[in-house]
Amino acid sequence: MRNRPLVPLVSLAAVALMTSACGGSPTATAEGGGGGRDSSAEAVAAAETYDRLNGLSGQERTDELVACAEEEGELNVYTSNTDMEKLIDGFTDEYDIEVNNYRANSESVLQRILQEDEAGYYGADVLETNALELGVASDEGLLHPYESELRDSVREEGREDENWTATRFNAFVVGWNTDLVPPGEEPTSFEELAEPQWKGKVSLEVGDVDWFTALHDYYVEEQGMSEDEFTEFMTRLASNSQVAKGHTTQGELLSAGQFAVTASSYSHTIDKAAAGGAPVAWRPANGEPVQPIVVRPNGIGLVKTATNPCAATLFVDYELTGGQEVFAEAFRIGAIEGGEDPLEGLEVFPVPEEKLLEDPDTWNKAYEDVVANGQALD
Amino acid sequence: MTANLADPAVTPEELRRPADGPPEPRAARWRWPLTPKMFIVAGVAAAIGYLALVPLGYLIWGTFFDAQGLDLGSFERAYGDGRMGELWGNSLAFAGGAALLSITVGTTLAYLNVRTAVPFKALFFAASIVPLIVPGILYTVSWIFLASPQIGLLNAFLEPILGTAPFNIFTIWGMIWVEGLHSSPIVFLLMVAAFRSMDPSLEESALMSGATRLQTLRKVTLPLVRPALLSSILVILITSLESFEVPALLGLQNGIYVFTSRIYFVLRSYPQDLGAAGALAVSLLAVAVIGVAVTRLLAGKGSKTYQTVTGKGFRPRPLDLGKWKPVVGVGILFYFFVTVVGPLLVLLYAALLPFYQAPSWEAISSFTLDNFAQVFEMNSAARALKNSLILGIGAATIVMGLMAIAAWISVRSTIPGRGIVEQLSFVPLVIPGIVLGLSISFVYLRFPLPIYGTILILLIAYCTKYMPYGMRYASTSMTQISSELEESAMVSGASWWTTFRRVLLPLLSPGITAGFIYILVVSFRELSSSILLYSPGNEVLSILIWEQFENGSFNVLAAIGVLMVLALMFMVTVAYKLGAKVGLRED
Repeated sequence: MRNRPLVPLVSLAAVALMTSACGGSPTATAEGGGGGRDSSAEAVAAAETYDRLNGLSGQERTDELVACAEEEGELNVYTSNTDMEKLIDGFTDEYDIEVNNYRANSESVLQRILQEDEAGYYGADVLETNALELGVASDEGLLHPYESELRDSVREEGREDENWTATRFNAFVVGWNTDLVPPGEEPTSFEELAEPQWKGKVSLEVGDVDWFTALHDYYVEEQGMSEDEFTEFMTRLASNSQVAKGHTTQGELLSAGQFAVTASSYSHTIDKAAAGGAPVAWRPANGEPVQPIVVRPNGIGLVKTATNPCAATLFVDYELTGGQEVFAEAFRIGAIEGGEDPLEGLEVFPVPEEKLLEDPDTWNKAYEDVVANGQALD
Repeated sequence: MTANLADPAVTPEELRRPADGPPEPRAARWRWPLTPKMFIVAGVAAAIGYLALVPLGYLIWGTFFDAQGLDLGSFERAYGDGRMGELWGNSLAFAGGAALLSITVGTTLAYLNVRTAVPFKALFFAASIVPLIVPGILYTVSWIFLASPQIGLLNAFLEPILGTAPFNIFTIWGMIWVEGLHSSPIVFLLMVAAFRSMDPSLEESALMSGATRLQTLRKVTLPLVRPALLSSILVILITSLESFEVPALLGLQNGIYVFTSRIYFVLRSYPQDLGAAGALAVSLLAVAVIGVAVTRLLAGKGSKTYQTVTGKGFRPRPLDLGKWKPVVGVGILFYFFVTVVGPLLVLLYAALLPFYQAPSWEAISSFTLDNFAQVFEMNSAARALKNSLILGIGAATIVMGLMAIAAWISVRSTIPGRGIVEQLSFVPLVIPGIVLGLSISFVYLRFPLPIYGTILILLIAYCTKYMPYGMRYASTSMTQISSELEESAMVSGASWWTTFRRVLLPLLSPGITAGFIYILVVSFRELSSSILLYSPGNEVLSILIWEQFENGSFNVLAAIGVLMVLALMFMVTVAYKLGAKVGLRED
């Protein structure tokens, strides 16, 4: 058998280049609104409806909204919220609307809506995901502002961008295994976790750049630490740590006793496990939990090209009313002020969204290096 | 011929090579007539080219070009890390170790299953595939529960005998162990197919001529299955180089970073640096292209060498193990206890608990079926199961159908450029799942037919993703089938298509069945491209699993894992039984 390994190689490359050259740059983002989004028939019609609804208030708004939404009869949700099925159950119990739910990790949700927008395919009516992805969608011009009395009652940190509204918050807390950390010996501060007595007992999560960046701003900008001091402090914390991937795995390993403390668990992961009987906690019986508690909003935005704009608006209303109870049942922290607040009286610090959006590489690299250098200290 | 067998230096190559006769009788026969054969061959080649070039084109474009033209900055971002040498070192040690382990384990198990009279064959077969069924994350976490120095059950159990914490899963050895065992079913399935198509009379002749069992193994058995071995090494090396689950869960803990952790880091923020991810994938592509070329070269050397399915009838009769039977029996029990029963028991144990805790009476008294109840209460569970089944069976059928013909093109035909077909079919193996998803949605969002948003787009993604495996299974089997069978059929007046259908396809059935089972099983846990491409109503099981995982319900996840093992074990057994009814039969 004759064999010419070079021929396949060369042809492969040539064919590949030719094929892709015909397709334009596939990885370009939807700069400037691909496919004339803003002038599309969908966007024009939706904008008219949104503006009409935003101009109403009180009972008049509610009546008009429900009638119009049920007439549309359908809603397409793109979300990374894993409690979405329960939310939809509550929503469809109340209204006669069929909900199609695309749920995925936040990166995929964003990629999907950007790609669809670029191709002029308008699949989503509302986008419900994390702050960073909502920020990108907002910057790309995909979202339409939502106005209502309900929005005004959302915590301030949750309505900084007019194009999306927070519905719940993730809180990063220091959790511990109550079998391994006896009462009275719980960690009291991040500084303490960097001390030698916690060597090998702490866990960090490999992707928590947002938490790291928030702590950076807290310690450097609010507490007057120098950059070098902060890096040195976090490196010592990392050298005390085992690194896990994924908050779920980390939570499971904490309750199993693989490590004694997690530096950046979600409060709902710990609360949910504790409610099921697992030996974990983030609040000591006496005294206060480790602070600051870094918080990051998750929220919802109306999509400009929605084919069901009334149903979309009604769903945002629902998440800020009945939906808040669903979140509370799932141990999540609601966004409406004055509701039951598990963080009341505690020092919270928001994730600096702008900073992460503008220069993600620097912060990714900084956290990656701190973790790797800390581990190398062993 | 028999006289030659007395000489132990005679290799099977020499035994099987015809002493004289035309060396390449088909070379001159190739023409381009407008026959059904031409249409089928061209159609299959085009389909493979299309499936492979969509993601490859997307990847290469994104890596080398930006809006301004040629741009190599992505390479600097990808490889500019000062620790690149260390990352590659760890990756190679990890992948090499995992390949060695899985090939030893997979080949041994396959040999015992096909060629010897081991007890409980069907169960043995199904159980060999269990590590493939359990999602990687569950399998890895099970091993943490078994062999972590802090909480490992095996460590606690063996401490009185072996001292404090004899096992540490958070080392490169632990990573190799878990990855090697988890990939051993790929090798097992490939080698089962190879051994099933091997004429045992060759080994018997060697034994009767005075060769020891070890000599026979070394000089006859292993050389004859060399194409399958090479395929296994190639696939396992590349999948281990790409694997991130095991390195992330076991290696990161103590700061062991691998090459793919770079891909993870460059892809996790917005905007995702697809260029850098592509630049990293390009080096895998290079490894793959060279690997396929080398495999073709080695397997192609005297293509008659490996043709064990010839005009001479044979029945693959199982070998009596004789005095080795008890030893082998104990070895198999030990293997199953360690790699199958152990992790499965941990999984079942976790599935019965509200939260994980070390075994105790207290833990056992808190056993509950709540986690299983939650699985059955999920709104979309039944629909997702149905979709996963349709996709799994659909993709496995289409891929193995296409690859059977592709294998003929690549191994048997003399069509110029046939090597490209094999190279192309291997390409998707090195494309990161997320890039595959993005490239497919990019194309079908602009496609005139309404494929985007339907289950078809998932089917296309699965066919692309599993094409490389299908090709390895099909072409490995094809190298074992003697061309004289095909030639006899043709001489007797059968058309090419009839020959293919009536002669080659039945003889390929061990490879086709193995490939079918592999694709069916792994497609159930495909997540990275499904998650971008599915639409409401087309959910698949892996999306539900992901959701439970994100939600922190690890114990519900364990329950899903247990149910998947039960369901897929059943299906694998059925597929295997059906496959065994066609083609080569055992006694």
